[in-house]
Amino acid sequence: MFDTRDLGPVPGENYTADTRNYPWHRPPEIDTYDGTVDYVIDRMRDEQTAEIVYSLMEIGRPLTNIVAGLMMQGIGRGKFQIDMAVLAAGPVYRYLQMLADSSNIKYEDGLNKKRIPITATTLKMVMGIIDDEEAPEEPVEAATAPVGGLMGSPSPEETTEAPADVQAAMLGMTDEEEEV
Amino acid sequence: MKFEDAIEKSIKAFLDGKLPEELVKVQDGEILYTPEYMDEMAEDFADLDLEDEVEEDV
Repeated sequence: MFDTRDLGPVPGENYTADTRNYPWHRPPEIDTYDGTVDYVIDRMRDEQTAEIVYSLMEIGRPLTNIVAGLMMQGIGRGKFQIDMAVLAAGPVYRYLQMLADSSNIKYEDGLNKKRIPITATTLKMVMGIIDDEEAPEEPVEAATAPVGGLMGSPSPEETTEAPADVQAAMLGMTDEEEEV
Repeated sequence: MKFEDAIEKSIKAFLDGKLPEELVKVQDGEILYTPEYMDEMAEDFADLDLEDEVEEDV
């Protein structure tokens, strides 16, 4: 059945909502390139933001992701528009590099990402599904029990066979029982 | 293209020394945060670090 919701919003639907509901619906506070970079750099000087940024760099989060996050914050607060955020990403990235270098943090730049092709095998690996047929057969090494010691199995020299009458007694096959 | 991809592309262009030309025109041709300016800033950062290390050694 045809569902009109699959096509996205109805043309003109944006006029039915109050355009001042969200910060990003209003004109941006900053509309210059330098102003945008200044704002983001100033944000990074804020103690809480700095802590998050440094922590993310230390755990190996790519710098490109951190830049994207900082830019999204600014957009969400209505400080600048998406277009300006994309344009001003370069200087912000460079500034993050400087911070990381000055703090001797080994960072992940995130610029040379290699896309891993999605295949049935990679999906199975991610989902933890292992087929018996596809599972590689690994040679199983023969288990070697420790010999000697308190918990180890007795060595051949230590192994002594119990006499036949003792074995019979252990099995409950004594002469008395046999007679009964 | 996702937002993250656009950010990545923009960063690569900036690191290659490219500037948003049309934006520069709109903003009267004056932009402070150029690749050259950021390189100078990086050098200043490095100098500051060296000074700090020297002070710590003393």
